Amino acid sequence: MSNNIVIFGGDSHPELVAKICENLDIKPSQVELGKFSNGETSISVRSSVREKDVYVIQSGCGHVNDTFMQLMILISACKSASASRVTAVLPYFCYSRQPDIPYTAKGAPLVSKPRGSNTSTPVNNKSASTVPISNLPNSNQINNVGLQSTNTVKRPGEDFPFKSLDSAIRSTIHMESPTPVREPKLVKTGSMSRIPMIPGGKVSTKVNNDAEELFNAQNSGYKLWVVQAGTLIANLLTTAGADHVITMDLHDRQFCGFFDIPVDNLYCKPMSQNYIQHYIPDYGDAVIVSPDAGGAKRATAIADSLELSVAIIHKERRSQLLKGPPDATLTSGVPLSSKPLISHHNNQPVIKRSNSNSSISSTGSNSKFIQTTMLVGDVRNKVCILIDDLIDTSYTITRAAQLLKDQGATKVYALATHGVFSGDALDRIKLSPIDKIIVSNTIPQDRTIKKLGKSRVGIIDVSLVFAEAIRRIHNGESISMLFEYGF
Amino acid sequence: MANNSIKLLAPDVHRGLAELVSNRLGVPLTDCKLQRDPTGEVSFSIGESVRDQDIFIITQIGSGVVNDRVLELLIMINASKTASARRITAIIPNFPYARQDRKDKSRAPITAKLMADMLTTAGCDHVITMDLHASQIQGFFDVPVDNLYAEPSVVRYIKENVNFEEAIIISPDAGGAKRAAGLADRLDLNFALIHKERARANEVSRMVLVGDVTDKICIIVDDMADTCGTLAKAAEILLENRAKSVIAIVTHGVLSGNAIKNINSSKLDKVVCTNTVPFEEKMKDCPKLDVIDISSVLSESIRRLHNGESISFLFKHSPL
Repeated sequence: MSNNIVIFGGDSHPELVAKICENLDIKPSQVELGKFSNGETSISVRSSVREKDVYVIQSGCGHVNDTFMQLMILISACKSASASRVTAVLPYFCYSRQPDIPYTAKGAPLVSKPRGSNTSTPVNNKSASTVPISNLPNSNQINNVGLQSTNTVKRPGEDFPFKSLDSAIRSTIHMESPTPVREPKLVKTGSMSRIPMIPGGKVSTKVNNDAEELFNAQNSGYKLWVVQAGTLIANLLTTAGADHVITMDLHDRQFCGFFDIPVDNLYCKPMSQNYIQHYIPDYGDAVIVSPDAGGAKRATAIADSLELSVAIIHKERRSQLLKGPPDATLTSGVPLSSKPLISHHNNQPVIKRSNSNSSISSTGSNSKFIQTTMLVGDVRNKVCILIDDLIDTSYTITRAAQLLKDQGATKVYALATHGVFSGDALDRIKLSPIDKIIVSNTIPQDRTIKKLGKSRVGIIDVSLVFAEAIRRIHNGESISMLFEYGF
Repeated sequence: MANNSIKLLAPDVHRGLAELVSNRLGVPLTDCKLQRDPTGEVSFSIGESVRDQDIFIITQIGSGVVNDRVLELLIMINASKTASARRITAIIPNFPYARQDRKDKSRAPITAKLMADMLTTAGCDHVITMDLHASQIQGFFDVPVDNLYAEPSVVRYIKENVNFEEAIIISPDAGGAKRAAGLADRLDLNFALIHKERARANEVSRMVLVGDVTDKICIIVDDMADTCGTLAKAAEILLENRAKSVIAIVTHGVLSGNAIKNINSSKLDKVVCTNTVPFEEKMKDCPKLDVIDISSVLSESIRRLHNGESISFLFKHSPL
């Protein structure tokens, strides 16, 4: 077989490429990856691919857009060099998870620069007008002439790009109070619809304002939405010339449906089970915990096959009529610690209705949403294994671990397929009560091991499964076996 | 006018050109927001409805993080498409990967074609670009492409800023001879050519001047300036051949690598670029840089495209 199979690795994860090739007992083919001086990706394929079965391995990690473009160009180069079939192997599929609301809701740092910082660079030395146009109340003039009252109200923390939208909404529902106009330049760093899910570290007024903005955005005629890039990425891969895609534990299984080409979504579950059985002492007494309701199915599947019990952590935002600690939502177990079972992670009201208008709010000004986290299931004196498909900012998993420890769990393991660990996620995990974090090597984990120490990190090797999938796809055999038993 | 209206979109970085165009058209930039997570994944949201609107996305792609800009553009196009925009026009004055337009070695990727396919896949209905490295790239697209020319703006710049009766147009390589000859015809000037033997990409070897430049102001014209090694070398050769002074006019001043260092240490009097590429920051470090504003051409082409008028007028004339 090896005379007809060609494997190329991108520069995102050379170790995994080497391991997969080792398992297949072939050498990765030579390809030169680099960049031109202007930042464009350059690729030259060193060995012939004519009539070959080509596999391009590139994980969606590192600088995602660069690695993705590299993958696209590599696929396209192989395709135009008469490869008979090109299979894209993406151990971690980038852009597979898209947020409902902007990223900052999860607390990821807002990298994008605000608009104001770019306006002071006039490039036209002849044009008389160098007034940054973004500082004009632009779209109001055009779109909302009828709605706009003369005093444009601007608040601190108001996000700039949505200024006109927001003011338009407020003028429609007559909620503004006469506040002095402030310079928009003062309010550069605010972020739209930042849901205050992060405990601490936020100025309260800002949170309120953002929450209010979110409320406004959600109750206007135009609802803010974030584009889902999934279909686009799928179509782009097909456009580049991919005939087949292999990936692992897609965040949404529906993602396969976005493609017009076959997608083999491999599962890490057999390896995860294997790891639990071999490396977690007394796993028979352990409880599988899902850190959110969305992952319940994933957790129960593992629990079922290992015959373990399940617990679920449920985050909810509910309308709270009474002030003071909530009481009657306890489902099971008696709190061992002094902390209440339902912990207020943020005592700031998520959405505060500033102006109690009877048509909007029937319950009066006391009405607010608070965010509660509750545990369904008993974890007292148990070993807990948190199961998730992906750890990115690690807010969810560290908070869940804290809750489990508060509830008397003896040990907390966190097991996830993809360890993205963006931003300062690793620092948070280091400080959290997670005893061991177990991730697969779909993404390089050198940094994780360096930061947390070898004893706190467990790595699940997925190269065997990928190698076996490549072998079976090349030979035209069924790969459904892999779903059930791993390798 | 049709009952749908123009909406201008621009990414949050390098908005300079978009703002100039927006100023000229009197159409504000639509509120939109790009966010990047630490790994670089982009999420995008548009602050207002674009249903049944005529969308123009203006993007400046310079040096450095080209791939980020490309993905952002694709996501913006796709967002507009899924939001039921009537027509989406991508305005990419400096078309990325334009130089990888042929299979010059075995198994070399034709990335320009890939870019064209990707733009079409994302849902782009029309592309406006400027001074494509090879105009054949238009054929890579399944959608209409308007390749605008910077030449009218360059002609105006030369007439206004250079004592052009003493000038001569220089092409720094054989490939650009046609462009230089065209410009020389428009200005009724002579032209000369520098023939070079290129050893490797971005590296210059031997250069030979064809033509007489004695006591002339030499205007080197090219479509793209990258590291500016060629320009600096060409300036030296011209001065060796008793030229009076040398300026360079390039359409896309990518100015990557140590271009600024090369320009500053070169014998060039001036390097003039159009603002298809963002290089505002570089102007601080390099007093020799100058700008030709092409936002008038772009805004006029947007207006004409929106109203269904002919664009070919702009090939020869530069609106004020």
